[in-house]
Amino acid sequence: MSSPTTAFTAEAVEELASLHGEPEWLRQQRREALHLFERLPLPSRSDEEWRRTDIRGLDLSAFAPFERADGAAPASPVQDAAGVLRQRGSEPGQVELDPAVAAKGVLLMPLSRAVQAYPDLVRPHLFAEVRPDRDVFAALHAALFSGGTFLYVPEGVTVDRPLVSQFWSSGGGAAVLPHTLILAGRGSSFNYVDEFLSPDLDRPALTSGAAEVFAAEAAQVGYVSLQRWGRHAWQFANQRLSLERDATVRYIHVGLGGRFSKNRIEALLKGPGANVELKALSFASGTQFFDFHTLQSHLVGYTTSDLLFKSALKDQARSVYAGLIRIEPDAARSDAYQADRNLLLSEQARAHSIPMLEILNNDVRCTHGATVAPVDPEQLFYLQSRGIPAPTAERMIVRGFFGEVLDRIPIAQARELVEQELEARLG
Amino acid sequence: MADFEIRDLRVSVEGREILKGVSLDLNRGEVHAVMGPNGSGKSTLSYALMGHPSYQVTAGQVWLKGQDLLQLAPDERARLGVYLAFQYPTVVPGVSMRNFLRTALNWKRGYDGKDRSKAVSPREFQSLLTGPMQQLRMDSTFLSRYVNDGFSGGEKKRAEILQMAALKPEIAILDETDSGLDIDSIRYVSETINGMRGPDLGVLIITHYTRILQFIKPDYVHVLVNGQIVRSGGPEVADELERTGYSEWADEPALAGADLGEVS
Repeated sequence: MSSPTTAFTAEAVEELASLHGEPEWLRQQRREALHLFERLPLPSRSDEEWRRTDIRGLDLSAFAPFERADGAAPASPVQDAAGVLRQRGSEPGQVELDPAVAAKGVLLMPLSRAVQAYPDLVRPHLFAEVRPDRDVFAALHAALFSGGTFLYVPEGVTVDRPLVSQFWSSGGGAAVLPHTLILAGRGSSFNYVDEFLSPDLDRPALTSGAAEVFAAEAAQVGYVSLQRWGRHAWQFANQRLSLERDATVRYIHVGLGGRFSKNRIEALLKGPGANVELKALSFASGTQFFDFHTLQSHLVGYTTSDLLFKSALKDQARSVYAGLIRIEPDAARSDAYQADRNLLLSEQARAHSIPMLEILNNDVRCTHGATVAPVDPEQLFYLQSRGIPAPTAERMIVRGFFGEVLDRIPIAQARELVEQELEARLG
Repeated sequence: MADFEIRDLRVSVEGREILKGVSLDLNRGEVHAVMGPNGSGKSTLSYALMGHPSYQVTAGQVWLKGQDLLQLAPDERARLGVYLAFQYPTVVPGVSMRNFLRTALNWKRGYDGKDRSKAVSPREFQSLLTGPMQQLRMDSTFLSRYVNDGFSGGEKKRAEILQMAALKPEIAILDETDSGLDIDSIRYVSETINGMRGPDLGVLIITHYTRILQFIKPDYVHVLVNGQIVRSGGPEVADELERTGYSEWADEPALAGADLGEVS
């Protein structure tokens, strides 16, 4: 590790594990991840994945290893949810779960509690998809992850109203590393939202989150990741979706916050009939930098993936998208789609889009495409020709651009919140 | 002085002069047709009147209600009472027809998001649209669709006329409104336009073919060739063109029968 003076030490690992009352096997996993963290180099621009992603301004020695909850403003209330888990800083969260939903066997709880109460469910899955040895940030996350959410929906259970986790951070200068583990039982059906929130603070913070979603046979899962960290945050996220036969996962990412935000979003289609939708909406302004790396991995045949990423950028904001569709030799009769659309709202904004294909079976349907363009002057003229002034017309066009993704957010409240945020940014 | 006066309009596109001094007077209550062969500058005229940014006006004035349109932004022209039915209506993804029309109506009435009493109410909105939608044979799901997105050729043109009916302009420019229309659609569209004819509306029909003029009878016909009006007269000018085409001015076949190829 290039910065030997960080506060990410063995003592910090033990202290955090004690705060969560963790068993020895998990402490041992954390220690091993810390060793990895100490050995792995920071990525450099000679690594293909980081070629356009500049982390030279990131000083890992500036961060405390975790954040104690300080009683600052809690996250916004959530209406019409079946269950809500609220976590502040790095401390275990508080849960409210509708007793009727709990009675069906649904578990929604801090990960630290699940580790003790349901080790048979947690242990085989925790870090099975998001591997600590992926890179230095994944290792750091595994060593010092600050708790998180465990959600288990048993076989055949449908939850009509959404389940929500809110991660609230109010301390600059610390690392906040939430982890979400979701186990969707066979034929289960539900929507879940991860909301990451913090105010804009003066001191930088490091937020490295991970999500692992395991969708068993024929499960129907909606997963929304709502990233609204403050402008002080360096954000790294690894999100992996694992789909068995006939499972469907509808994934939506909303990227609004952070000064720097790097997201890996990866779907693994492991059983025939598995179907994943990956959608993202992001709006970068000021000097924000967003990086998205996606993977649609078709491991077996008769699988479907459909990716649609939409980004608007204004001011001096920059973004990088790199997405890979990989079709394995055994994945005949698979369909894969990938579209990355970028709307530039200023002269200085920049977007790079790099779609990639690796197709090892010819009996598939596969399309991909990328666009980077300013607001279409013809659309603007058309709206203006009906009496709508240019600023209003431009807002409508941007709102429309996002509509395809925004209208799919399964929770009205989250949708409204995102709309308000978009409105505010369009000014 | 006419209600709408085009004075010596000169327009260039990418440095090339397309309109070379066009003058035309149009009063409310009148229907004028501007006819011309391909490349004569018909579309340039309609886009320039509406203020498309790719069309550079190099000289001339266009007067409406004491204002020179050419000094106004496209949205200001629209709110002053000018309407352009596009030859190729633009797709605006993600914006519903309902949202689009309501926003346009609100701006027309001076509602900019502040004084709610100026906003069009849902009931008014409904009553403004119900009649024209029936006349144009458009069902209610139409308003939920994105603007021109996935519309057939006929649906696009009907949508242009629906917007015109809702916005009630004083000067309407119809740019090749009959092209791409099947015979039923052209009937619905013409009936709707004829229904709007009256002392408050002046219409400028821009067309290559005479077909639409069989449904909407013009009071005056102007022939535009090579960026200039070479002939103006009554409806008989269109009848003449029907027989002779533009052969007097351009190397094009006669018009009679030629419009059948446009039926789709």
